[in-house]
Amino acid sequence: MSDYHVSRRFFLKTVGAFTVLSIAGEFPAELLAAVDERMLVKYPEKTDMILLTSRPPQLETPIHYFRELITPNEALYVRWHNANIPTSVDTEQWRLKVWGNTEKEMQLSLNDLKAKFEKITYTAVSQCSGNGRSFFEPRVIGGQWKNGAMGNTTWSGVRLKDILNSAGLKQGSVEVSFNGLDMPALPSVPDFVKSLPIDKALEDDIMVAYEMNGRPLLMLNGFPVRLIVPGWYATYWVKALSEITVITKQFNEFWMNPAYRIPDTPCGCVEPGSKPNKTIPINRMTTRSLIIDPPAGAKLRPGSSVTVSGIAFSGGYAIKDVIVSADNGKTWNKAELGKDIGKYSWIQWSYTWKPLKPGNYTLMAKATNSVGESQPFEGLWNPSGYLWNKVEPVDVKVQ
Amino acid sequence: MKRAMIAVITMLMALLFGTAYAQDAASQASSPEGTTRSITIPSVRIELKEGEGRVKTETYCNICHSVDYITMQPKFPRSQWTATVNKMIKTYGAPIPPEDAGTIISYLSALYGTGN
Repeated sequence: MSDYHVSRRFFLKTVGAFTVLSIAGEFPAELLAAVDERMLVKYPEKTDMILLTSRPPQLETPIHYFRELITPNEALYVRWHNANIPTSVDTEQWRLKVWGNTEKEMQLSLNDLKAKFEKITYTAVSQCSGNGRSFFEPRVIGGQWKNGAMGNTTWSGVRLKDILNSAGLKQGSVEVSFNGLDMPALPSVPDFVKSLPIDKALEDDIMVAYEMNGRPLLMLNGFPVRLIVPGWYATYWVKALSEITVITKQFNEFWMNPAYRIPDTPCGCVEPGSKPNKTIPINRMTTRSLIIDPPAGAKLRPGSSVTVSGIAFSGGYAIKDVIVSADNGKTWNKAELGKDIGKYSWIQWSYTWKPLKPGNYTLMAKATNSVGESQPFEGLWNPSGYLWNKVEPVDVKVQ
Repeated sequence: MKRAMIAVITMLMALLFGTAYAQDAASQASSPEGTTRSITIPSVRIELKEGEGRVKTETYCNICHSVDYITMQPKFPRSQWTATVNKMIKTYGAPIPPEDAGTIISYLSALYGTGN
């Protein structure tokens, strides 16, 4: 195994000065990285990623990859919970066990999955529940993600519903639990197991995926198969899935309760610094938009057009519109939406802005989905740092 | 006694990781036809700031996770570090005796805290 020391072998990508650029799409990646002086690391099968933690690995996607509609596999973020992650899988030996309150117990090979069930494909945003946690005020403990714990991937695999029906659900099935190959470092640490209510598990779009962007899953993203719950936070998207259990009561183990819960309030939030009276498992993603270009700190020329562009998505509903402000939210204009490739994908948007006078400007973008869900101007707070979707200001200078 | 405890934990870690890597090697060897996919995770050593309790903090915390779990956090008050260390012991079963827990909490509060 390779062994190296952070201060010697890791590096920071920084640039000394911002470049003056005003043509769309020509902000260099380094400019985006410049506002983010975290360490970049190279993990197997991945590109240079921002290091949050090394064991288990939590790696954030550098934001310039979000210029693309589809996030390249090697740039998709990585988030494991327990230390002993699978680093080697023999697909001859690997089986997906399906059992519990079912007519029969199945041990499906990767070939079984591909041969016995219909293949489906769609593009979906995966996003860590704690994406944006580092922006919470007051700060909360946990993975200190900025905006890079997400990505947009075209997943292919089979319907969970088809697998469950093949096993045959018995009367009294209440939930389905999902376990992966990862193991804790100590027996006292709870194994990472998640569950879905039976009605959710039987929805058409829940997938057991064996391909990402037309390729086998990367090991760090869940090879050989992972669960896809499109529209919901990726805590449910169990990686290296190895066991599906149909159960007759609510699953109440650690990673469902007390972990990964949000306040049972309409906003999923509470007064900053306070504790919720009642919590529920985190579920659908909130609506978000993000300005990718120009990056914060960009210096623009007066009288030159600049394309303000970015992405927007919500928890399973199409984005209806994105509005953009160049004056700190005083006035707004509709952005032009890019190609719609499905309700679980993010959509690209752009707005042409021509600043005339020199000065400091604050850009904002705000998305609304087809059922009217949008984004708050103040960050909504909860104790675990979930659901972040504030309208984020991007300060630029025209000179 | 405390040194012995640290030695035991170090051995335990070696056992845990040693086993994992031995399994890797075994599965590769048993699958010459190429049905095995393997990666080797780089071993990243993050060093904590020098201070009283640093060795204990690194030793115990590293049993389950790398100490960048600590270094990535913003500065928290002692109450947060106390709650976090207690969570590691009570929820995750970290084998930290009470006197060492106190040392670790004081170290984290002093070196990675707000100082109150």
